[in-house]
Amino acid sequence: MTSFIEGVGMVKVERHYEKGLFDLAAEAAFSAIDQAGGASGIDYIIASNALGEVQDEQLDLGGYLASELGLRGVRSLRVEAGEASGLAALAIANSLIESNMADRVLVVGVEKVTEFQSAKVYRHLQMLFNSNSRSFYNAGFAADAGLLTRVYLDTYDVDRELLSYWPALMHSNAKENPYAMLNFALKPDKVSKSQVMADPVTLLDTFPLGDGAAALVLSSKDSVNNPLAKVSAIESATGLGSMELSDDPLTIDSLTEAYRRLQNVTSFESVDVIELHDSFTIMGILTLETLGLAPKGKAPELIANGAFSINGRGPVVNPSGGLKARGHPIGATGVYQAAEVALQVAGRFPGLQVRGAKRGLAISMNGLGSNSYVALVEGVE
Amino acid sequence: MPGPRAGIHGWGAYIPAYRLPLSEIAKVWGWHPEQYKGLAVEEKSVAGPDEDSTTMGYEAARNAIARAQVKPSDIQSVFFGTESKPYAVKPSATVIAQALGITPYTMASDLEFACRAASEGMRALSGMAASGLIKYGLVIGSDTAQANPGDVLEFTASSGAAAFVIGPEKGAAAIIEDSVTFVTDTPDFWRRAQEPYPLHGEGFTGEPAYFYHIEGAVKALFERTGLKPSDFKYAVFHQPNGKFPVKVGQDLGFTMDQVKDGLVTPMIGNTYNASALMGLARVLERARPGDRILVAPFGSGAGSDAYSIVVTDAIESKKTLAPTVDQYLARKVVVDYSFYSKSRGIILTIK
Amino acid sequence: MSMDLSISRHWRLRSPLYRLEGARCKACGRVHFPPKKACPYCGSRELETVELPKRGRLISYTIVYAVPEGAREYSPVYVGLVDLGVTKVVAELTDVTDTSKLKRGLEVEAVLRRTRVDGEAGLIYYALKFRPSMGVPDV
Repeated sequence: MTSFIEGVGMVKVERHYEKGLFDLAAEAAFSAIDQAGGASGIDYIIASNALGEVQDEQLDLGGYLASELGLRGVRSLRVEAGEASGLAALAIANSLIESNMADRVLVVGVEKVTEFQSAKVYRHLQMLFNSNSRSFYNAGFAADAGLLTRVYLDTYDVDRELLSYWPALMHSNAKENPYAMLNFALKPDKVSKSQVMADPVTLLDTFPLGDGAAALVLSSKDSVNNPLAKVSAIESATGLGSMELSDDPLTIDSLTEAYRRLQNVTSFESVDVIELHDSFTIMGILTLETLGLAPKGKAPELIANGAFSINGRGPVVNPSGGLKARGHPIGATGVYQAAEVALQVAGRFPGLQVRGAKRGLAISMNGLGSNSYVALVEGVE
Repeated sequence: MPGPRAGIHGWGAYIPAYRLPLSEIAKVWGWHPEQYKGLAVEEKSVAGPDEDSTTMGYEAARNAIARAQVKPSDIQSVFFGTESKPYAVKPSATVIAQALGITPYTMASDLEFACRAASEGMRALSGMAASGLIKYGLVIGSDTAQANPGDVLEFTASSGAAAFVIGPEKGAAAIIEDSVTFVTDTPDFWRRAQEPYPLHGEGFTGEPAYFYHIEGAVKALFERTGLKPSDFKYAVFHQPNGKFPVKVGQDLGFTMDQVKDGLVTPMIGNTYNASALMGLARVLERARPGDRILVAPFGSGAGSDAYSIVVTDAIESKKTLAPTVDQYLARKVVVDYSFYSKSRGIILTIK
Repeated sequence: MSMDLSISRHWRLRSPLYRLEGARCKACGRVHFPPKKACPYCGSRELETVELPKRGRLISYTIVYAVPEGAREYSPVYVGLVDLGVTKVVAELTDVTDTSKLKRGLEVEAVLRRTRVDGEAGLIYYALKFRPSMGVPDV
């Protein structure tokens, strides 16, 4: 059983000092609602957000969002799964539709990450990792990516410079995307020279801090009028999410399982487009290798040689610019990904359009994979 | 000394890795080399940004417990002697006791008597162990010594720790044959409760304080025991600089040969509560069974102890059970005044 | 009240933070750190406390310049993935005076250090960090 994406809305990822949580949410939600033909029939709001408590002193975001959007009385819930909150919200919304509990669900992902100076935000982002392991140290949010990147380079004897083609590709894609935070081209050799976040991970390997909101209206078969795309299936799995617990940190265990579960409930041969979770270069690389789209240790080389780009071999990866260049408003990101894939398979993505895209995946995870979500979004007609 | 005695079952030390050359201090504050040459100190040890007297004391204590070859839970008293407590109220002794597995059945407290607080703790433990009140006790002397930046004290105020497990005479690596304490109200050096740095009486810290009390204690020990300088293989004194311990040793009739092995200050500065005690640790690491050691710590305010300690056969096997003072001395990285000022928190920042 | 750090959270974790206390699963034999209420590998609740060795070897390390609030005085923060034989831990590294020594295989040992300080008047948090081995014995 499927659900249908009827309308989408996105806000440019940016340091929106002039916009708060509700401002951003409304901008994206109203766009989605208007595109879907209006708010009537919306049974549920599923909001996704990870840092609302610590950035904006707001609990029950779902509850308050209803009135803020003029939808007082509508059932509402906020879903949080760290960086995977957005697709987690989509999964809940999809389940409500599939189980006949709802006909139309508004999914709104929204996040503010600029309410405080960056050093405080780094402390907030550290919470994406296990607090018993990390709270009492000062590792920050990029240390795990740093450790993991070094393990990758050592294990496969790969030059750090080869990794830099990933951010370069992301920037190249994002240039076309009006909703992307970073709209400038990037030469690979600049990446390793940029500010070190957690050696060998640099600023240009890392998602930028930016606020954002994305929304979509999800409808049941019977309620839908003019679908953009359909969510054919969405699955998830939890994992160790930890380098110290994992026997094979270069494989994202929760992603392997989520993908396997997805393939159990729906069959597909290949996809045309993937929006995946490149919070750091290494996570993008490991996602490709975990899914078997690249052999272990070979993804950087393939990327450097043009694979996964708009003109290259394989599905087009992150035509939006990905977390690296489109941006990563933490809890909202998964909704961006779903909206982007929906627009791709509808032939209406306002940036780099994958020609003839019919089938796409949105992949989101938290941290090193404590939780992974994979959604299959397909075109209609 | 009549009655049961106590002994040292294990000893340990800790010196941070960083060394600040005195010339660096002189550069910043406009001292002429002749003004500090007389201190006979080359560099001083500087605790790193994540160190304090508690963390240094922890490592010295771990080394001491390893040498004592006792279970941490057998230790029934922890005395932490310091004048640089991280908290004015909240014992460092309990942090160390918890971290080493000594809690909960133990006495624990932090002691203050400038540089001799730990030594008072050692005397107290020797009585407690000798009487059977406790089986083993742990005394730690640890300081990240403070000095007003620009004051002459800044040349020598350094960081380090020493620790000892005191227990019954039987099985000890060195027996505390006798000990004596000599104190008066002599305000040569002090730090007011809310103040970050001490003040001192310059020359007043010499004759009326350091020399008077050390000589008072050592002479009292000689009188009680009938011992004289030639009965000792080693003489270890509180060492605020490289000159005072040599002079007081000479004044008391000791030779440079007896004093030199217990001298650590010329290499790392004055570690306050660890000053004489680290000298003792270093001596224990080279002493032979039967050697007699004089130890005379001193603390401002003022007072001194004098111990006569005799090494036993048990010492040999313990020397290499933990890193030695010389190993910590050898582990060094020279730093500059900016590292020292950031590390020791003397740069004004908003926390 | 001028306090940001929790008293009770750190206090509850003294054994893992001060002594590297982990858990061993009686069902499958695997050890993990810090201790959970059930084995993350096989799911069994039959766990026992086990103190991990305080010496191990570096598998990986990173040097953090994007330090979180409150850590400026410690910057750059060195973090290591350490193999203790029975399990691995991720912990801060300290006394890194020669970064050229940082490499896979370096022997490191756990010592107690400050990790976070709550302003001028709040708590001082201590935890074990790893440093290039000097041979400090386990007790």
